[in-house]
Amino acid sequence: MALDGFIEKIYRRYMVWKCRPSRVAAHLDKSLPGERKVPLQDGRRKIRVAALQLKLKLLKSPLHFADEMHRQVRKAVDRQARLAVFPEYNSLPLLGMLPGFEKIEEGYRKKAAGSPNNGSKKGSEDENSLVDVFKYMSPAVQPLVDITFSRLAKAYGIYIMAGSYPLAYNGGLFNRSFLYGPGGQLIGSQDKVHLFIDEAKWDLKRGSSFSIYETAIGNLALPVCMDATYFETFRILEHKGAEIALLPIADMQEYNYWLALRGIWPRVQESLLYGVKGALVGTLAGLVFSGRAGIFAPLELTPQQDGVLAEVNTDSDEAITVAELDLDALQELRQNHPWRDTNQALYSRYFPALYRQD
Amino acid sequence: MQVTALTMASLDLSSQEKYRAELTGLLKKSGTGLAVLPAYSALLLGVSTGAIPPAESFQKTFKDYIDRHLTWNDTYLELHEKIAREMDIYLAAGTVIEREKDLLYHTVYCFNPQGEPCLRQRQTHLTPFQLSIGLSRGEELPLFDLPPYKVGIIVDSDALHPETGRILGLQGADIVLHCGALSEGLNCWRQVAGMWSQVQQNQFWAVEAQLSGNLAGERFGAAPAVIGPCEITPGKSGYLQRGYPHTAEVTAELDEAARRELIRKYPLLKLLNWQAYSELYREES
Repeated sequence: MALDGFIEKIYRRYMVWKCRPSRVAAHLDKSLPGERKVPLQDGRRKIRVAALQLKLKLLKSPLHFADEMHRQVRKAVDRQARLAVFPEYNSLPLLGMLPGFEKIEEGYRKKAAGSPNNGSKKGSEDENSLVDVFKYMSPAVQPLVDITFSRLAKAYGIYIMAGSYPLAYNGGLFNRSFLYGPGGQLIGSQDKVHLFIDEAKWDLKRGSSFSIYETAIGNLALPVCMDATYFETFRILEHKGAEIALLPIADMQEYNYWLALRGIWPRVQESLLYGVKGALVGTLAGLVFSGRAGIFAPLELTPQQDGVLAEVNTDSDEAITVAELDLDALQELRQNHPWRDTNQALYSRYFPALYRQD
Repeated sequence: MQVTALTMASLDLSSQEKYRAELTGLLKKSGTGLAVLPAYSALLLGVSTGAIPPAESFQKTFKDYIDRHLTWNDTYLELHEKIAREMDIYLAAGTVIEREKDLLYHTVYCFNPQGEPCLRQRQTHLTPFQLSIGLSRGEELPLFDLPPYKVGIIVDSDALHPETGRILGLQGADIVLHCGALSEGLNCWRQVAGMWSQVQQNQFWAVEAQLSGNLAGERFGAAPAVIGPCEITPGKSGYLQRGYPHTAEVTAELDEAARRELIRKYPLLKLLNWQAYSELYREES
C-alpha cells in the first residue's frame, strides 16, 4: 500500500498535530484528579495489581483514546491497584482515525465472514498493508501514548504497563511495550524478542535483549506476548532479578483454554516469577482476538495450588481482575524450592551449538 | 506407531514371574510398539518382591537400596531386556540407581526389540533430597533412532526443567519418553507444568509414565499420558490420551504426518532468537 503520496503526507501531519501532547494533556487534565489516589503500602512487600482486558473498538479521535485509557486506569485505581497492565497492539483502535478505515474494515469483515481466522492469515498483500499503516501512523501514535500514560500514571500515582505498540524506529517496525512510573516518568520499554509467525512475515524487527526495571513495587519486566511461548525469556528475566513479568497479549485466534494456557502460565512455574497478563479481545477486519487477562504465580503461591491468582471470566468482553502479589513470599519460595536445580555443564555442552544451528 | 505409558498400578508385584506375566499381558493387549515405565520402578519392584527390604521411610529405603542392594539392578534390567525381546517392542524400563566410578546416577535404560540397550539416560537435574543422598547429575541428553523417529528420554524431575526438552527438541527429537514419579498429594497442575509444557514449546510427542502406588510409605500418584502439540489433539487439549493415577496404562497412535505438517506451518523452534540467550549458559572454552 503506497502511503507516501502528497495527500497521505499531509494527512499524517494532520494526525500528528491532532495527537500533539499539549492537546491531549490539556484534555486529560480536565478530568484527572489533583492528588494521588492509591496509597503507598508499608511493611511486607505486597503489591496489588490489575490485569486489564480491553475490547477492540475503533476510535476516531486521539482524545477518545485518552479518555478510554483513562477509564481503564480508573477501574484499576478504584480497585486499589498500584500497577495496571494493558494489552498488546493497544493502538489498534486508533486505526479508526484513518479516513475511510471503517469502510475498509467492513470490507475485510465481510470477506472473512463465515470463516473466522482460527489462527489463519489474510493474504500477504493485506498483511503488508497493515505494516505500512502502522509505520504511517507511528509519528502520531508514539507521542499520544507517551503523554496519555505519563499523565495518567502521575495523576493516580500508580505504575502503568501501557501495553505494546507497533512503532517505527530507525526504518524498522518494532512491537514495543512501555512502563510508566507514579511520577509520570517513562521507566523503560521492551521490544518483542520473539515474533509471532505472521509478524515475522510482515518483516517486523525483533528485540535482541531483555530488560528489567527496579522499582518501588519490585523488579519489573515487560516481555511481549509471544515472548512467553519460550522458556528462555522468563529464565533470563529470572536471572536478571525480575519478580513480576508484565505481559501484553493480543491472541489472534478463537479462545481455547489449552491454547491460552501455553503462554505465561507454564513460564511462571518454570522460572518462579509473578505474571500479569493484559489481553486485547474482539474482532477487527474479520480477525478474532481472544484471551483472558489474568494474574499468575508459581503453584505454591496460589490458594488452589493451580498457578492462578485471578483471571477474568470472559474471553471476548472488556473485563478487569486484581490480585495481591507477595514479593517476600516469592523470594522465600525461590530460596527453599522443593525441586529446582541447575546444570551449567549440560547447558554449556549443548546450547551454544544448538541455538546457532539453522 | 502405538505408544504406551504405564504406572505399575494394578500389576501384581509380589514376584518377578507374576510381574512379568501381568506386564506382558498388558503390553500384548495394548498392541504397543514402544512402552515406558515410571521412575523408581526398580526400587518398587525390588521392595515388593522382597529383594530390597523396606525401611521405616521412603528416604531410608532409597538409601539402603543405594548402599546395599544395587546388585538388584542386574536382575531388574535383565528382566526388562527379556520383556522387550519377548514383546518385540522398545521398552524404557523405568529407573535404577547406578554407580559408576564412585558416582551415583538416577538412570533410565531403554531396550530395543532385540533386548539391547539403545539409550541410557541419567537424570540431569536433581531435587534437594536426591542431592542429599549423594546422586550426581548426568551431563548428556542423547537421542536414539527408532525409524522414522528420533527419541529422547527425560528422567523424573527433569520434566520440570525446560532446558531438557529444549536440548532434545533442538537435536531433533520427535518423541520424548518420560519416566516420572510425583507425590500423590500434588494436584494435576504440577504435572501439567512438566511434560505437557515441554511438549507445547517444542512440538514433539511425549509418552509420560507416572508411578502410582505406595513405595515404602511414600504415596505416588499422577496420571499416565500421551501428549502432543495442542493443535493436533482432541479438543486442542494437548492430550492424545490421559489416564488417572490408578490407570494401569494409556496407549495412543501417533499421527506423525499431522505433527510434521503443524511444524511446517508453525515452526516454533525456528522463531527462537538465540542472540538474546547468551546469559543462559557459559560458553565452553
